Amino acid sequence: MIGVIDYGLGNLASVVGAVERLGHEVAVSSNPDELRQADKLILPGVGAFGDGMQNLRSRGLIEPLNNMVLGERMPILGICLGSQLVSRESEEFGHHEGLGWIAASVRRIMPDNPALRVPHVGWNELFQTRDSVLFEGIPNGSLFYYVHSYRLVAESADVVAGECDYGGRFPAAIQSGNIYATQFHPEKSQQHGLNLLKNFLDKG
Amino acid sequence: MLRSRLVTVLTFNEGVLFRTKLFQPDYRYTVNFVDAWSVDEIVVLDVTRPKPESEVIDRAPFFDVVRQFARRCFVPLAAGGGIRTLDDVTRFLSVGADKVVVNTGAIENPDLISQIAETYGTQCVVLSIDAKKTDAGYEVFGSFGGKPTGLAPEAWAKRGAELGAGEILITSIDRDGSLSGYDLDLCKRVANSVGIPVLISGGAGNWQHFVDGIAKGEAAAVCTSNIYHFTETSIKSAKTFMAKAGIPVRI
Repeated sequence: MIGVIDYGLGNLASVVGAVERLGHEVAVSSNPDELRQADKLILPGVGAFGDGMQNLRSRGLIEPLNNMVLGERMPILGICLGSQLVSRESEEFGHHEGLGWIAASVRRIMPDNPALRVPHVGWNELFQTRDSVLFEGIPNGSLFYYVHSYRLVAESADVVAGECDYGGRFPAAIQSGNIYATQFHPEKSQQHGLNLLKNFLDKG
Repeated sequence: MLRSRLVTVLTFNEGVLFRTKLFQPDYRYTVNFVDAWSVDEIVVLDVTRPKPESEVIDRAPFFDVVRQFARRCFVPLAAGGGIRTLDDVTRFLSVGADKVVVNTGAIENPDLISQIAETYGTQCVVLSIDAKKTDAGYEVFGSFGGKPTGLAPEAWAKRGAELGAGEILITSIDRDGSLSGYDLDLCKRVANSVGIPVLISGGAGNWQHFVDGIAKGEAAAVCTSNIYHFTETSIKSAKTFMAKAGIPVRI
């Protein structure tokens, strides 16, 4: 069973639909005891970083998630805002501390080409910078759907599995042990997205 | 490189697909037809009007449509229709929309844009602008294009972006349903007034119009609500045409 963490931000229907289509049972929950029963966790989310952390905090999820992810080493996939929340801190609308599982920060996209618009919205490449179980069967440079104004800056390239280029390269896929994260939306990226999600669900 | 998007805009009345905002019903096309499309994004709009005896619009049939799309189409889904409050937005998101399209509600209350952006992020708000050419230049119209606002589309788009809109959907009322091509001048004016992506809509009749929308209209995405573009082969054929014309697209 896959636990989708519900912390009151954004649309969970497509994540749930995608996981179900891939043949897994889903429990959408903000209850740590229910989430602990899951084999794997997905931390979705769109919205602002500060609100995301605040919502996790107000639901009493931060300590339980720390225990599950860092203690019990449950596999977790952060998507979009979820991929940013696993970092140490963000400068979106002020300074906010993140979950701190990955040595990275969140910074605004500043394209080196002024013709590039922000937010970065649409289909763009995922360049695989190293092997990851997430990428099995997915050609390097495949297109995924991105929608974001902020991006991760990793302190070490070790945690970065894939990058995207939008007026400069940025980490688009993270893997560090049991912690996986994608800036793009696999649940919105048709076949390649479903394949990547399937890799996480089956092999992550 | 970021690809230019081809976006399908579907307009619904009481859960039934309408061909354009000109209100011609079409019962042949359902959610089944978009299941396998290589379309990059889907916009669904509800144009249901209140029943004569009531002031309330029944959105249940439309929400069923959104739910079906959300569960079956693994591409981004934007939804709109009569959104006036943050509660409306929450309702649209809860049935599976990734982002909402606001139009008249934002004209009446521009703060709605910032409320949505602050709660759900800027990427969640698409500001839809319907504009008509008048003797004095372009003017924004609200209420299904029926009500003049005195606003210039460039200025309204700029204000919308400042308030937190993540994208602008600009529709030429004059061209909508005409199949005679987009109003490129209108789109270019709007695109040059904002730093956020602009989607061009209204008038696409052939593949060259898509190319023009990107190359001459400076749009990030081209929209079609022409049912003859709603097949797997037509979307692929359109994208192949665009790629040959030098537009980066996802094929």
